[in-house]
Amino acid sequence: MLWENIRLALKDMMASKLRTLLSLLGIVIGVASVIAILTLGESATKSITQSIVEGGLEMVTIFPNRSEKASTEFTEDFGEKLMANVKELKTVLPVNSSSATLRNGQNTTSASISGVLSTYADILDYKVASGAFFSLTDNLTSRQVVALGSTIAENLFPDGNAVGQYVSIQRNQAKSYLVVAVMESKDASFNLSFNNGIFIPYNTYAQRFIKPANVGSYVVRIADGADPLVVSDQISAYLDSLVGSDAYNLFSPASLAEMAEQITGTFSTFLSAIAAISLLVGGIGIMNIMLVSVAERTKEIGVRKAMGASPNTIRGQFITEAVVLTFTGGFIGIALGTLLSWLVTDLVDWHLHISYGSFLFAAGFSTLVGVFFGWYPAMKASKLDPIEALNYE
Amino acid sequence: MAKSVISLYDVRRYYMMGDFIVKALDGVSLAIEEGEFTAIMGPSGSGKSTLMNLIGCLDTPTDGIIQIDGEGTMGMSEAELAFVRNQKVGFIFQQFNLLGKINALENVMTPLLYAGGVGIRERRERAKFALERVGLADRMHHRPNELSGGQKQRVAIARALVNNPSILLADEPTGALDTTTGRQILELFEEINSEGRTVVLVTHDREIGMRCRRQIRLRDGKLEA
Ligand SMILES: Nc1ncnc2c1ncn2[C@@H]1O[C@H](COP(=O)(O)OP(=O)(O)O)[C@@H](O)[C@H]1O
Ligand SMILES: [Mg+2]
Repeated sequence: MLWENIRLALKDMMASKLRTLLSLLGIVIGVASVIAILTLGESATKSITQSIVEGGLEMVTIFPNRSEKASTEFTEDFGEKLMANVKELKTVLPVNSSSATLRNGQNTTSASISGVLSTYADILDYKVASGAFFSLTDNLTSRQVVALGSTIAENLFPDGNAVGQYVSIQRNQAKSYLVVAVMESKDASFNLSFNNGIFIPYNTYAQRFIKPANVGSYVVRIADGADPLVVSDQISAYLDSLVGSDAYNLFSPASLAEMAEQITGTFSTFLSAIAAISLLVGGIGIMNIMLVSVAERTKEIGVRKAMGASPNTIRGQFITEAVVLTFTGGFIGIALGTLLSWLVTDLVDWHLHISYGSFLFAAGFSTLVGVFFGWYPAMKASKLDPIEALNYE
Repeated sequence: MAKSVISLYDVRRYYMMGDFIVKALDGVSLAIEEGEFTAIMGPSGSGKSTLMNLIGCLDTPTDGIIQIDGEGTMGMSEAELAFVRNQKVGFIFQQFNLLGKINALENVMTPLLYAGGVGIRERRERAKFALERVGLADRMHHRPNELSGGQKQRVAIARALVNNPSILLADEPTGALDTTTGRQILELFEEINSEGRTVVLVTHDREIGMRCRRQIRLRDGKLEA
C-alpha cells in the first residue's frame, strides 16, 4: 500500500511538474539554506582550526597571572618541571616582556621588548635577516645586545645597515644596546608578535628591567609529530592541578580552535534557526498545494471510496503524497545546499567538510513538515462523503 | 426458499433543503434473493439512484434497516462500510467513473489494493483475468480516454467484479451508450448473472427492463405496486 501510494504520488508530481516545482520551492530553499549554513559553518571551523594548527607552529603560550601561587611556581625552573610532567614537549622558554621606547639619532619608536634565551629564534623558526642572534655567552654575561624585529629595524634604520650600530633603549634611564641581528619579517601568531618586537638576552632583561615576581610568560614548543591539541590539553590539565585554573592563561591552538568553534557554532545555530523559519513557510506552501490537490481530486476520492478505500487509506494516500513532496524538496535542497557550500568553500579556499548528520536532520525534518502540513488536507480528503465526492464536478 | 442477499425494511432517505424536506426515498421495503436479476425502473427523480447508493453502502439511510448478505449496515463505521463496498458489492456507474491517470489494468487492480493483503502479482493476475472476462484483454494498457464508451463500461464491470462480490449494482449502466453497445453490455450482465451473481440494475429502457426477470418500479420515493 505504501509503495502504491508513493507511486501514485510520484505519478501525480510528474503530471504537473511546474506546479510541483513551485510548491516545493519553499522547502527547497529552506533545506538548502540550513544545509549550506551548517556545512559552511563546519567547514569554516575546520579550516580555521587547521590554519591555527598549521600556522601556530605547535606553540603554546602560558601567561601566569599575578598571584601568590603564580610567583612561587612560575619561576625559571618551571620549564623543567613542566617537561617532566607533560610528555611530548620539545622546549619551554621563559620570556619576560614589557614595552619600551627606542631611539637612534632622530628616529624613535616604541616596541615590545622581550628578554629571551639564545635558542628562542631557532625554536620559533624565527629567521635572521642579517647579523646573528645573540649567543649563550651573551646571555650568561648579560651583554647589552639586541635583535630587532623587521618593522622596528626599518623605523630606526631607514637606510639599513643596523647591525653593528647602537640603539638607545629608554626605560627609566636610556641605555645603549649593540644591534647584533635584524630579523626577517614573520607573521604574528597568537600572542607572539615579532615584527614590532625587539629581543635582548634573558639575563640582561632581568638585570636592566624591573624583575617581576614571576616569569612573564612561557613559550612552549610541542614535540614534532605530537598532536598539539592533545598536548595543550595535557598542559592545561597539569597547570590546573598545580596552580588552579585562575592562576594562568593559556593560549594554544586548542583554546583558539575551541573559540573559533564556539563562535561559528553559535553563528550557524542562529542562522539555521532563521532558515528553519523558511522551512515552516515552505510547509505552509505544501499545505496549500495539498488542499488544492484534494479539491481538484474530489471526484477521484469519491471513486476510490466507492471501490472500498477506507478513510484511513485515503488519509494515508494524501499524507504519503505530502511527505513524498517535502522529501523530494528536502532532497533537492540538500543537493543544492551542498553545491552552494562547495562553491563558497572553493571560492574562499576552505576545505569542504560535509556534515552527513545535517543531511539526516534535513531529510527527517522535511518528512516531519510533510506529515504535519499534509495532515489537515489529508483529513479533509478522508472525511469527504462518497456520494457528494462522486457527484462533484 | 433462497436466501435474501439484500433486504430493506421501511427505508427512508430525506434531504433537508432549507425549510422543506425532500423525501428521496419514503418507506421502501424489499428483499432481493441470491442470483436474482432485478431491474429498478421509474421516472427521473423517483429515487432510483438514492436506493442504489443505499444498497451499495455509499450512503446511509435517514431511517430504516438495510441488510447486505444478512448483515445490518446500521451503526457501521466508515471503515466497515468501506469494507462492505470493497468485498460484497460491485458498483457500476452511468458515467463509468474510471480513474483517468492510470490505465485499464491499474483501474481494475485498485479494489484489490483496498482489499489488503493481496500482493502485486496476484492483483495483476486477477485484474487481467477480470479484463479477459469482459473481453478487453487487448486494451489493458490503455488509459480511459483511449477507450470507447462501451470499452470503458467493460473496464468498470471488470473492476466491479475483481473482488468477486456476490452483488453487482449498476446505476443506468447503458445510459451513456448507444443502443447496440448498451445491448452488448446487458448481455454481459446476463452472463454474469447466469454464473449465480445477484445483479441489480437501474434502467430507463423498457426493453432492457423486460429482459430482467424481476422489475421494481419507483415513483416519488415509494415502490409502485
Ligand atoms: N444530495 C441531495 N440533496 C437534495 N436532494 C437530493 C439529493 N440527492 C437526490 N436528491 C433528490 O432526491 C430525489 C431522488 O433523486 P435520485 O435518487 O437521484 O433520482 P433518480 O436516480 O431516480 O433520477 C430527487 O428529487 C432529487 O432531487
Ligand atoms: Mg439516477
